[in-house]
Amino acid sequence: MSQLGQVIGILRKLNDEYQISTPKKLKLIDAYLVYVLLTGIIQFIYCLLVGTFPFNSFLSGFISTVGCFILAASLRIQLNTTNRSTFNVTPERAFADFVFAHIILHLVVINFIG
Amino acid sequence: MARLSIICIGLILFVTVWSSSLNIEGSSKRVLVLLDNLAIRETHSFYFKQLRDREFDLTYKSSDDSNLQLVKYGEYIYDHIILFAPGTKEFGGRLDAEILTQFVDAGGNVLVAGSHIIGDAIREFAGECGIEFADDKNAVIDHLNYDVNDNGQHTLIIASPDNLLASELITGEAKKVGLPFLFRGIGMSSDSENSLLLDVLTGSSSSYTANPDEKTLTEYPTTVGKRTLLVSVLQARNNARVGFVGSLDFFSNDFFQSPIQSNDGKKSAKSGNEELAIALTDWVFKQRGVLRARNIRHYLKQDKTTPSFYTIKNDLVFNVQFDEFVHGKWMPFNGTDVQLEFVRIDPFVRTTMKNNGGQLEAQFRVPDTYGIYKFIIDYNRIGYTHLFSATQVSVHPLRHTEYERFITSAYPYYISSFSMMVGAFLLSFIVLYHRDEMPKTKVE
Repeated sequence: MSQLGQVIGILRKLNDEYQISTPKKLKLIDAYLVYVLLTGIIQFIYCLLVGTFPFNSFLSGFISTVGCFILAASLRIQLNTTNRSTFNVTPERAFADFVFAHIILHLVVINFIG
Repeated sequence: MARLSIICIGLILFVTVWSSSLNIEGSSKRVLVLLDNLAIRETHSFYFKQLRDREFDLTYKSSDDSNLQLVKYGEYIYDHIILFAPGTKEFGGRLDAEILTQFVDAGGNVLVAGSHIIGDAIREFAGECGIEFADDKNAVIDHLNYDVNDNGQHTLIIASPDNLLASELITGEAKKVGLPFLFRGIGMSSDSENSLLLDVLTGSSSSYTANPDEKTLTEYPTTVGKRTLLVSVLQARNNARVGFVGSLDFFSNDFFQSPIQSNDGKKSAKSGNEELAIALTDWVFKQRGVLRARNIRHYLKQDKTTPSFYTIKNDLVFNVQFDEFVHGKWMPFNGTDVQLEFVRIDPFVRTTMKNNGGQLEAQFRVPDTYGIYKFIIDYNRIGYTHLFSATQVSVHPLRHTEYERFITSAYPYYISSFSMMVGAFLLSFIVLYHRDEMPKTKVE
């Protein structure tokens, strides 16, 4: 019981620290990431229930969510000023990469969705 | 004047050509009758008269006539042959067992009658057809079913219509009328596994084939019981028909007309010989039981067009017209058991066709597998010619534009993909135009 209490305490501390120290922009990107994650999970559950009939459509939709999640996560990493030591890229460069990768991703998704 | 004569000559030529070509149906009735004894024309006159009444064109020749020939200028001059010459050792002229076999291979029909003595030429021809006659001087003997006019050796036997093949095409009304048959001659045997031979009339279970002059049998009889064939027919793979009757007297005027009184007192005013002989001759000479298929059409069910290729899961309709030759005319066939197969190595579809006054039709869905298919009709029934028809079509898979679009069950996936795109677009606005507030510096 005390272990559960310790875990809850740690999580609360993590949440407080997060609210104080992260910039607003990154928090907005995090909200977007949560939204993409939920969409992906809902799609997967739907496929489990209904079956894989248009399998290409399922794959296309699911890969779209996974790809968007990855691209948004990498944008967040590159925009975070505390990561300047490992990722030395300008925010403009990060955003340009994000947009270019998204164009290719959505092209492929629309082609495969059938 | 010159013009008039030219017109006259032209008209005469036209009429002769037209009249000779009018005989298309009639020209398949030229019969060569081979006799070893010209008195047979009189003793069998009722039979020959019935054939002439049916418009057969009979040519009587002696079997050792040195002018015998079947082929003239490369064409057969007879369509059917009646061999009432059982004792022939060798045919005269240009005829022998091999030429007779070639005649059957070319589609000609033959009716052969046997007797106590069978010559080598007839034996050889029968051997080619799968029929083995018993040795010379043998006869079919039946001690329990003989006529009282018999000479004591019990060779004039009475064959019961119960032993007759139940096919109205081959035997006519003989089985229904139920009159017994008189028979005096030799028995035949054949391989029971031969699918092309039919036993039309067999002896009763107490009959056998042996030499009637021997008081005691020294060896096992050639044929016993129901395997003693009295009348047997062969329908070859090219649908030519050969009939074998073990008794020449079967066709004689005596046997056609005499009343029957069997040894156990059963009487009959007339024998069934005439009915069976004429029905058998009609069948062997292709006046009954001939089928043809024409007008094969296949088309899509919805718009009745015939495309150059079908696509998987089309609904299609197959149509064919079957005719049967009955009493000199082609009538619509009325069988209901014709099957159609749609075959690509193995049959994918096998349906029974519906008969609509001779027009057979089948509807089905093309299977889900693409390839080269054939519509196969393989109709093989007792008494009818074997009909095989194969029509080839190709079946293509769906083109990339023929698949289902906008599948209802995939709408969530479509919605999620587009929402991802919209979300990324909105996120890009936030990333570009959001300014973090500068932290207020505390001035202390």
